[in-house]
Amino acid sequence: MNITCNDRERIFLDGTPEEWLALEAHTATCAACSEEVRAWKNLSVTASEMHQEWDSAALWPRIEEALKQQSPASNGSWFHRIFGGWNLRLVQWQVATAALLLLTLTGSAIWFGTHQRTGRIPQNEALFNNKTVNEVERAEAAYERAIDKLDAQARPQLETSPSPLMANYREKLLVLDSAIADLKSQAGINPANGHLRRELLAMYQEKQDTLEQIVEAKK
Amino acid sequence: MGTMRLALPWEARISHLPVMREIRVEPSGLAQSGGSPAADFSVDDAVLASACQSGDLRAFERLYHLHGSRMKSVARNLLGTTSDAEDAVQDTFVKIQRSIASFRGQSSFATWTFRILINTCYDLRRSRLRKKEVAQEGPDEESPRPEPRAAVTHPSLRIALERALGQLTRHQRDVFLLYEVEGFRHSEIATILEISETASKNTLFQAKKNLRAMLEAPRSSAAEAR
Repeated sequence: MNITCNDRERIFLDGTPEEWLALEAHTATCAACSEEVRAWKNLSVTASEMHQEWDSAALWPRIEEALKQQSPASNGSWFHRIFGGWNLRLVQWQVATAALLLLTLTGSAIWFGTHQRTGRIPQNEALFNNKTVNEVERAEAAYERAIDKLDAQARPQLETSPSPLMANYREKLLVLDSAIADLKSQAGINPANGHLRRELLAMYQEKQDTLEQIVEAKK
Repeated sequence: MGTMRLALPWEARISHLPVMREIRVEPSGLAQSGGSPAADFSVDDAVLASACQSGDLRAFERLYHLHGSRMKSVARNLLGTTSDAEDAVQDTFVKIQRSIASFRGQSSFATWTFRILINTCYDLRRSRLRKKEVAQEGPDEESPRPEPRAAVTHPSLRIALERALGQLTRHQRDVFLLYEVEGFRHSEIATILEISETASKNTLFQAKKNLRAMLEAPRSSAAEAR
């Protein structure tokens, strides 16, 4: 195989073993190529010394402790155990179903509250009775778990991507989570307040939309 | 990219270095002396991923024993200190556990792990830089200042190379470190960095050309010396 100085860079880029052998042979008669090949190889030799290994006996125990601490939050719920391996489309479907269920329950609870109580307690027309509150809370919990699942799907993209778009999503989710926490706290004090429940539902829906946009962006 | 000329005559300093590993040529698989991680990657990769997905901490421990050393080295070269490197490896494991449900086996579990590690290193680097800027209220160089390492052959040469690496683009630095320092193959680098194999080869070529130019003794001063 005939190799000239012009072939050198192409071989550096993506040469075959035969081409490398031919280039080595060429360096015996070409000082310029000889120097270039030696420098090219020396870069590799020096770089190989940059691989460092050191003992860090405390590192695995540290990691293990961190994993144990995180474990209940991310994997402890029955929802995660059952639906952990389900694909994304199904997760979105679950979230949509949970949202619909919550919307139906909240809407019907408000309707019943306003129509059945009219005349008896007109000043508290948006209040739910105990049974309705329980049903709404159960639906809310299911919706929240479904959104958590969607959150787990979106989280890697959200946390690993350096793009400004993802930074905006992160901030938006922080604001939404804060608002949800506030509303939940208020709803805890006044569980029969239908207005608070509607606000909470709107926040959940916004969070769901945001997470779905992140997941779509990942595709 | 700014060119940094380091007065480091290759001839004088490394011409007598033993060539510890030859140029790697792919895809014929002429692996370097350190051995390719590809062998590690194929072993039980899917089984390990599945065990990690089930939340088995022993599986995470196995992942650590299989790839922890290389993870620490990658992080060390990106962040500059062993303590930052260990923090990055720990954060990476936490992120793996948090997002393991989203791993679908489209790439190998190991390359997925290294992708998270590299992103984590850059996140950590950014947050360290932000803290430093807040503390100093002034500009600082982007590259971390590496802590001293144990000298093997030519510490000055390696330090010069480490400094020169800081002048490369992020992509060039990543590809160079993964290929030349850690011994990954282009196919693996392509998966880790989400680029094509051709892009990996081209980037490595450009990185080495730039490093060669930076580390070469300035021709004018060399001529003056004569």
